[in-house]
Amino acid sequence: MILSISFLRALIDHDFMQYALITGLLIGFLAPLIGSFVVIRRLSLIADTLSHFSLAGLAIGLYFIHILGITFIRDPLYLGMLFAVIGSIIIEILRSYYKNYKEISMPIVISLGTALSALFISLSGGFSSSVYNYLFGSILTVGRTFTIIIIAVTAVIVTLTILFFRQMVIISFDEAYARLLGIRVNRFQLVTTIVLALVVSLSIETVGVLLVSSLMIIPVAAAMKVGKSFKNTLFIAIIFSEISVLLGLWLSFEVGLPSGATIVLFNILILLIVALSKKIFAKKSLKVKQSESQI
Amino acid sequence: MRIQLTNLSFGYDYRTVLKDISFKLESGDFLVIIGNNGSGKSTLIKCILGINKVPSKKIYLDDVNINDYKSWINIGYVPQKFDDFNYEFPITVNEILSASRYGKVSEEEKLEWLDRLGILELQNENINNLSGGQLQRVFIVRSLMNKPKLLILDEPTVGVDATNVERFYSTVNDLNRMGVTIILITHDIKSSKANFTHVMHLHQGEATVKKVAPKRGESS
Repeated sequence: MILSISFLRALIDHDFMQYALITGLLIGFLAPLIGSFVVIRRLSLIADTLSHFSLAGLAIGLYFIHILGITFIRDPLYLGMLFAVIGSIIIEILRSYYKNYKEISMPIVISLGTALSALFISLSGGFSSSVYNYLFGSILTVGRTFTIIIIAVTAVIVTLTILFFRQMVIISFDEAYARLLGIRVNRFQLVTTIVLALVVSLSIETVGVLLVSSLMIIPVAAAMKVGKSFKNTLFIAIIFSEISVLLGLWLSFEVGLPSGATIVLFNILILLIVALSKKIFAKKSLKVKQSESQI
Repeated sequence: MRIQLTNLSFGYDYRTVLKDISFKLESGDFLVIIGNNGSGKSTLIKCILGINKVPSKKIYLDDVNINDYKSWINIGYVPQKFDDFNYEFPITVNEILSASRYGKVSEEEKLEWLDRLGILELQNENINNLSGGQLQRVFIVRSLMNKPKLLILDEPTVGVDATNVERFYSTVNDLNRMGVTIILITHDIKSSKANFTHVMHLHQGEATVKKVAPKRGESS
């Protein structure tokens, strides 16, 4: 491992580094786990949509706290989570309303989220460091409460996934057949989308609104190209994601770069390495086959 | 499974697709449906599967009004096309089968079905590496994963080679002998080795159903 001694010492000495590491690793686990089901259902844009809608909640939270002085909310994050869940419900309603044009739901929700965000960021005094953190992430500022929330959410999601894994697989791969089996597809999809909303809103602390979807989609996109089975692909996606989180955190700490950007760039790097190696191996195996056929 | 249709008419918007269809099947009956494209075969199947909502008291499954029917797991279905399936993402044959299995078929029985349909060696294969015919047989095995009392097969041997077509009909005939009601849509009744008991000719939404002497005991 190329992680430096100073980084490891900081992990031991500083609480904020430990919180950042725990949060990063848990998000690094949850995002591709949920992301895999999102990719199979061809809903890759949903994470972006929900993160933009969640930003509206965060902006309204900032407005309540800083301008109106309403402090019972304490942290805009809670409103962000609530808005992500509301956004997910609106998406499911619109998807059932426009049965043959389900993708219409995404631009409608993303537009509403972005418009509300712009409005309340402006009302809250414009672009501030808080807004910057929401947009690009600030994992090093994560505290104890957030870490506890994310541990609890991880426990709930892992339990749900273990209990309903087979149903989630059949609904994702073949919704029509799942209905024939008598599985309550709409109910499952609503719960899955709400879970997705929670993961999205929690991921905002790690990589920010603008990069959340990449955390869910890129490791899965890379793993799809090398996975031999569904479970194997899930496992590889999680490994890719965790490597990116560790290396991203390290680089962010060492060079003082935004952690969200470094994590996502490592994800992209892994995707590129996988794509190139696949191409090289495909060419090599073709040459071997050609030489075998000549013999 | 017993099936009873009484004067079923069904249409989309202003177009009537099925006109006044009535028939009755007992457990262990084998119905073959023949008809040209657009004759209403798929619409009829969707009505029996509960996908198309029909008025009350028009279809009964095991004497239960279809609108009140809950035991859908008793029905196995192999569609003609698999457009609804999300390909490209890696998943093995075994993973598809276990996701579709809800406790009725044992591991040994599953392996036996795979073997009978000639795809036992493909059980750990990624489905994206399978040919159309192999995939078709995987979905046939999937339809058997919950020990169906009714099996509906929509042109199931399209794209399957002659040897495996033979294997398929042998399996279906055996299932039928075990008491499973079969509904088979085919365009080629002559070359099929099905031991059917009823034939339905569907033409422009109108059906004529004939009972025929079953070819029980014949090797297929």
